[in-house]
Amino acid sequence: MTSLLKTPAAWPRPLLGKASAADPVDLDAAVKAGAFDGLKKAVRTLAPAGVVAEIRASGLRGRGGAGFPTADKWQVAAATPADRRYVVANGYGADPAVRTDALLMEMNPYGLIEGVAIAAWAIGSDSAIIAVRATETEAIRRLEAAIGAAEEAGFIGADVLGSGRELMVEVRPVQGAYMLGEETVLLKALEGKRGQPEQRPPHPAERGLFSRPTVVQNIQTLVLAAWILREGAAAFRAIGSPDAPGTILVQVRGTAGSGIAEVPLGTPLRVILELAGKNAAAPRALLVGGPSGGILPAELLDTPYSFAELRAIGAHVGSGSIVATGTNADVLELAELLTRFCAGEACGKTIPCRIGTRRLEEIATRINAGTPRPTDADLLVELSADIVASALCDHERLTTLPLSSVMRYFRPELDAKLQPVAEHTAGRQRIAVADGERRTEAPTA
Amino acid sequence: MSLIPGLGIVRGMSLTLRRFFQPKVTHLYPEMPAEIPPKFRGRLQLLYDEHGTLKCETCFQCAQACPIECIDMGGVDSKGRYAVHWGASETYGERREESALRRSGRTVPDAAYEHWSSVDLGLVDAILHDADHDPKRLLEILAATQAAYGYLPVAALKRISFGTGTWYAMVYGTASYYDNFRFQPPATTDGAASGRGQVEADYLAAIGRPN
Ligand SMILES: Cc1cc2nc3c(=O)[nH]c(=O)nc-3n(C[C@H](O)[C@H](O)[C@H](O)COP(=O)(O)O)c2cc1C
Ligand code: SF4
Ligand code: FES
Repeated sequence: MTSLLKTPAAWPRPLLGKASAADPVDLDAAVKAGAFDGLKKAVRTLAPAGVVAEIRASGLRGRGGAGFPTADKWQVAAATPADRRYVVANGYGADPAVRTDALLMEMNPYGLIEGVAIAAWAIGSDSAIIAVRATETEAIRRLEAAIGAAEEAGFIGADVLGSGRELMVEVRPVQGAYMLGEETVLLKALEGKRGQPEQRPPHPAERGLFSRPTVVQNIQTLVLAAWILREGAAAFRAIGSPDAPGTILVQVRGTAGSGIAEVPLGTPLRVILELAGKNAAAPRALLVGGPSGGILPAELLDTPYSFAELRAIGAHVGSGSIVATGTNADVLELAELLTRFCAGEACGKTIPCRIGTRRLEEIATRINAGTPRPTDADLLVELSADIVASALCDHERLTTLPLSSVMRYFRPELDAKLQPVAEHTAGRQRIAVADGERRTEAPTA
Repeated sequence: MSLIPGLGIVRGMSLTLRRFFQPKVTHLYPEMPAEIPPKFRGRLQLLYDEHGTLKCETCFQCAQACPIECIDMGGVDSKGRYAVHWGASETYGERREESALRRSGRTVPDAAYEHWSSVDLGLVDAILHDADHDPKRLLEILAATQAAYGYLPVAALKRISFGTGTWYAMVYGTASYYDNFRFQPPATTDGAASGRGQVEADYLAAIGRPN
């Protein structure tokens, strides 16, 4: 049971649509509400190049976290010569605290199938895979039923809308690692391999699943693509911010309540948090972006929720999770927990991943345990910079965010903890941190 | 017997004399480093960190990368889950394993291995048959095997390796990566979550479960 937060009536909902009592798997009801109109337009009036042009005009960015322009991927995949191309819908939902994508698949299975079909049409692919977390059994059941019905009705299958083109859509349950959300890891799992990221370039759009050009797209991105073809790029551009149009699903945890909401990109964090209930006291901190998110002070509550803006302040859209901590939360404890989570999930393939993230975790543990080394503050800065510079995949880069955002915004707390606690321990030597060098003094009293 | 008595000695001594004045070939190691064949990589040795714990995480990457399958890992993996074969004698034992024999071109069945396996391999054979012995469907095969046995017995993993023509290191290395696979029968009592499971539980406790 996922609670959907009420959003203002004026906010458009391209993703979740109008909340209706109809069964989401009922194809007739969905078609009556406009499902597959976008695919019909794509197949009957727009050539594949026309679809890419329409997506480009809409300014659609990927909702998987990084906000990469979707049209660029499709163009590359379509232009790369190959005997076969694939579309992979990334419905894994790596963050265990977030269910936005699973909810979308449950509520709007035909929107996703239409988006998949449009992407396949645009790049010339005849087989698509929707990867879903194996524990989301209801989403899998509904998608499988919806695929069966759409195939029967000729929207997908052996002959897509009488165009003579084939499109087989398959649901693949995957599970067992946080990293499966990362696109190259997901492709590895779909190939039956150990889930470790691949060096890019070549990007999956050039060389992806089974070495064929593959478009990996978040569930929301594909549902939005279908909406764009149905309603037009201009209508999409009218929503959200100019740099990142459209809406996105967020999982909000305020101090007064929590739930999932569809919000236009560029909505200030404060407005999003208030959807989950107003609370007089400002939160101590915000965690934006999931386990590898940035920890932000309450002064940044007016930041617009969008890709570039969040990156500029040291957070990211990530899994779409926005958490407000209680008024007396310990940000350093939180940063340690998050770093431990991310280090534990790192795949182990490269040095920054296997060792760098673990050292970050150890530094955080030392600081919180009151046994910091005099060099720890500098080490944290240097190590984070090295990890960012040498990482193979984004996971390591993002793993530095919790600690580096605490460094950036909560310096007094960090400095207090960097002072060793040995003072009150009688008989022990006192170690003072002064200008990064270590000096020992005789115990006082 | 030579015609002139003593000629052999003269010849021998002349060789000795000539060699005596030739430049020496003995390398004065370590002043002069030895010449090493370009592909020599030394002896494989696992390292310990400053706390005395093995640095190896049993990630099986080296075993997967080794083109002639001479590396196989032992120890406990990074999640503390599985004690694999370990120790010097095992090193030689590995060479006698089915996959190694197969790769070396010998078809000798390993009696010790057959004797040792106590699980019914008929189940995994049926799973392999259903999956076309297709290594691309490895995750599906592993999931079905775990469903059949309750865990992934080593003997079944070896059968999968044999049946799909995939190195054992690939099969084990893949299975050990994903949290949902286990290599021991599930505990009969509810134990506390450990390793990564515990970290995820801590994260959800701090952030809140999806609702
Ligand atoms: C550690 C990590 C986890 C990720 N998890 C997800 C995820 O759960 N769902 C998702 O759609 N993308 C996830 N991504 C992003 C994907 O790598 C990829 O960029 C995305 O699926 C592309 O789709 P988009 O262009 O539509 O955003 C993750 C990336 C990283 C580095
Ligand atoms: S198994 Fe992994 S960690 Fe251990 S030696 Fe091989 S590559 Fe290194
Ligand atoms: S390379 Fe291991 S997590 Fe990125």
